Amino acid sequence: MLTSRRLIIAHFWLAFGLFGLALLLGAWQMLMRSPLSGWIENPEWYYRSLTAHGTVMAYVFPTLIAMGFGYAISESALEQPLIGRRWAWAGFWLVAVGSVTAVVPVALGRASVLYTFYPPLIGNGFYYVGIVLAVVGSWIWVALMSINLRIWKRANPGKPVPLAMFANVAGSYLWAWTAVGAALELLLQIIPVAFGLVSTIDAGLARIFFSWTLHAIVYFWLFPTYIAYYTIVPRAIGGRVYSDAMSRIAFVLFLVVAMPIGIHHAFMDPEVGAGFKFVHSVFTALVALPTLLTVFTICASVEIAARLRGGRGLFGWVTALPWRNPIMLALAFSFVMLGFGGAGGLINMSYQLDTSIHNTQWITGHFHLIFGGAIVIMYFAIAYDLWPHLTGRPLASLGLMRLQLWLWFVGMIVTTFPWHWVGILGMPRRMAFFDYGDPALAPLAFSVVLSVLGGFILVLSGLLFLVVLLRGHRTAPAEAGPYRFAEALHPPVSVPAVLNGYGLWVGLMIALTVSNYGYPILQLAVRSDTAVQAVYVGGSR
Amino acid sequence: MTVVPPADESAQVAARVERRWATMSIVIVLLLATAAALIGLQHATMPQGRVETIDAARLHLSGEFVESNLGTAVEPDGSVTVRAIGQQYSFVPDCLLVPTDTPITFRATSPDVVHGFLIVGTNINTMLVPGYVASIRARFSNPGEHLMPCQEFCGVGHEGMWARVKVIDKAEFTRLSAGKRRMSCAD
Amino acid sequence: MKRDGWTSASIGATAIVFVVSAVVGFILLPLAQPHLGLTGLWDAICSAAGVVSRPSPAVEAPQKGTTVVMTPNMLASADAQSIGRGATLAHQCAICHGPAGISRADSPTLSGQFAPAIYKQLKDFKTGARVNAVMSPFVVNLSEQDMVDISVYYAYLPRLPSPWRTQDRPAPKIVASGAPLRGIAPCGSCHGDLDHKVGSPWLGGQSAGYFRGQLRNFASADRHNDINEQMRTIARRMTPEEIDEAALYYSGEAGPIQPLPR
Repeated sequence: MLTSRRLIIAHFWLAFGLFGLALLLGAWQMLMRSPLSGWIENPEWYYRSLTAHGTVMAYVFPTLIAMGFGYAISESALEQPLIGRRWAWAGFWLVAVGSVTAVVPVALGRASVLYTFYPPLIGNGFYYVGIVLAVVGSWIWVALMSINLRIWKRANPGKPVPLAMFANVAGSYLWAWTAVGAALELLLQIIPVAFGLVSTIDAGLARIFFSWTLHAIVYFWLFPTYIAYYTIVPRAIGGRVYSDAMSRIAFVLFLVVAMPIGIHHAFMDPEVGAGFKFVHSVFTALVALPTLLTVFTICASVEIAARLRGGRGLFGWVTALPWRNPIMLALAFSFVMLGFGGAGGLINMSYQLDTSIHNTQWITGHFHLIFGGAIVIMYFAIAYDLWPHLTGRPLASLGLMRLQLWLWFVGMIVTTFPWHWVGILGMPRRMAFFDYGDPALAPLAFSVVLSVLGGFILVLSGLLFLVVLLRGHRTAPAEAGPYRFAEALHPPVSVPAVLNGYGLWVGLMIALTVSNYGYPILQLAVRSDTAVQAVYVGGSR
Repeated sequence: MTVVPPADESAQVAARVERRWATMSIVIVLLLATAAALIGLQHATMPQGRVETIDAARLHLSGEFVESNLGTAVEPDGSVTVRAIGQQYSFVPDCLLVPTDTPITFRATSPDVVHGFLIVGTNINTMLVPGYVASIRARFSNPGEHLMPCQEFCGVGHEGMWARVKVIDKAEFTRLSAGKRRMSCAD
Repeated sequence: MKRDGWTSASIGATAIVFVVSAVVGFILLPLAQPHLGLTGLWDAICSAAGVVSRPSPAVEAPQKGTTVVMTPNMLASADAQSIGRGATLAHQCAICHGPAGISRADSPTLSGQFAPAIYKQLKDFKTGARVNAVMSPFVVNLSEQDMVDISVYYAYLPRLPSPWRTQDRPAPKIVASGAPLRGIAPCGSCHGDLDHKVGSPWLGGQSAGYFRGQLRNFASADRHNDINEQMRTIARRMTPEEIDEAALYYSGEAGPIQPLPR
């Protein structure tokens, strides 16, 4: 029962349109810094492009997907029209206007500070204002998800909240809280400096605030993907969710442990005490837990589908899976990339191993594999699954979809594996060009060229994806029926109160934020002697 | 034909399998955390032990990062301290000289923006955040030359911010260092 | 599990993880590192928490370098009065630096120069951090306000363009791209063509002789008033040919210019 189709389509198209542009920028960057191109004459263009690529891919694209998918979930899982549709449009326009506000100074070369900000580098103030606007827009979505759930609960007392909506609202709460870190950094620290009200800033404190956002944002990106794992995939391939309760536990665990671990991004930083680094490291190990549980539940759910289709044997059932179904294919690719990316992540989260690869191309490889690979390929699957329900027209070519997914998977592997490798060899991130002619860097050249080829494959796949969606607006109308989510193997009759609400988990999330971030932030916030002078970029020339 | 057990029983089996897996997951996670702690107790690489601050804009006026104090210093106990600055867009000194088989402490900071301090081919890697002093301990076993790029975006000239580290035999280093207060590759 | 069991179990498990990891991270691990020289349990906890300690400024080596501290907005705005005073004071500069700040000798061209760059050099001449037989005597009697006025006056005059954007000939490789593995960034990343670092001068229109001479002096450390050795470090790594190329390029004078290799 999707009644807000235009709203949802607007979110998806804005997201995928910007994604397409940022994808082209990414490929261009890879080409420019590779041995296939001469050294870029104006390196500022490279950093400009990199800032735009990162800002769109990290902030705007996944946020719009989560919002659009969230509205779809709310309407179809709760079977009630979206309450506050006007507000939802306001949120959409805030994100759109915010994105434009942010991207204009970047395009003009006035804010080439990269999406991670890292003061005391300070760009044009409107870049930061744009990002704040986009975040505020997304907070409207958070509020709407919460309100819609509350109204449904009032109408359905004691009934278990449908899993998709339960996870969706958990993801929105996680985002609401994790965005606070960057919001504090922007509002209290950066924006006053960018508009010239003050000229000094505590770079260390800014890094701590940013780490508050920087890691949990990854789980916010991940939520739509995990929701698709649990509630789309089993339905699409004819299986059941293995366990409703365990699924809920996985989602609430993310809520609790995704937050108090961000300082693992600051293991190598001089402004945080070693004790807090260790505590964050332990909680980072815990965040593997919901993913391990998910791997089990999803594999089991997929096995159910295979056995219902007549699959047998200990592993023989794998062949009985509907491999020609794009959703099945996307899931398999996503899991493979999640596996490799997760293994790399274990290295990043360990103090001792992280030192060898911190801020090298390994890190770039890691998050492209996890986010660009495992997560985004499921965004594609979500769009494919949802599109006929949004347009009222079927998607024509399964073959094209499969080809697109294959290309994305292969492209991502070809891009990121060489990145991991050159990272181990010590190649630093974010440089506009490298002197491959020097014997010390010559061994990197082949791997870098390889990754550029991967980048081109990704562009091809991205274009193909947009073509499939566009063609989906042109086929003959055919009602797709109500949008449904996967059923549990043993559908819950009643659910423990704590797994039907969020009070306990949000409480723990906030408590752990206070315990794990409170002192490092407060200590630096009250000191005045750690502030350093701003370094304005793109100013007087 | 698979025998389908009654629903109740099936739910119990499912729950049991699931509990087993959950327990295993928890054990894996505990193992990871314990490993990190144990390696730490073994004196392996650890994050720096203290947070130290410094006035970034006045590094050149006083304190341990004044020009004449940068470079490699031999301490009374025979260990070596290397002080360096990373700034837009160079390291000073731009070639660090260190001996083999000697405990070395790198102390570095930035007068302007955030930079990175990475010695390629080693696990020496830290952030240089203006206002704070980075300090890491290391030891080189083999002579040789390493690249030392800035690993964090620091502005338009970031791609040009590369330095080197020259590791020389301890005996040769001792000979070279006689009578010198601070050293770099230029000595 | 009972309903209320969830709450206490979750809170309990979270608390246990936190307490255990805190004990390990704040007590056991710091105490296992003798080099930290911890004086006891409390010191261990404080150091692990990151309580800030300031390194003692024990080293008070004799300084012969600059004492100027650059700030991001220094001399960013100038009133007409200050510029006017600067114009009057600048009469004494005209002999060498040209009546409109455009030098026709091997002294620097000042018109349109960044004000903080001029101010810093005047300060350095005054403190003796930079020495020049001709220039130094002129600065002796300048007050703080005089130096500000002169700087903003010259900054106010129109600038000679850097050939970067105005000429067809490509910048030599050392100017456009630097030499990354020698630690040389593109000149323009500090000097204003690409971005500007406060205190760095605009290079367009400087005479090749002055330009070359200063780079050589930096390389030999005869000139040493650059903050934290930022220019000496780069000049030392430039070859004499590269110094020539950069000098000829920025001066706009003719000379053998290497095209940028693609």
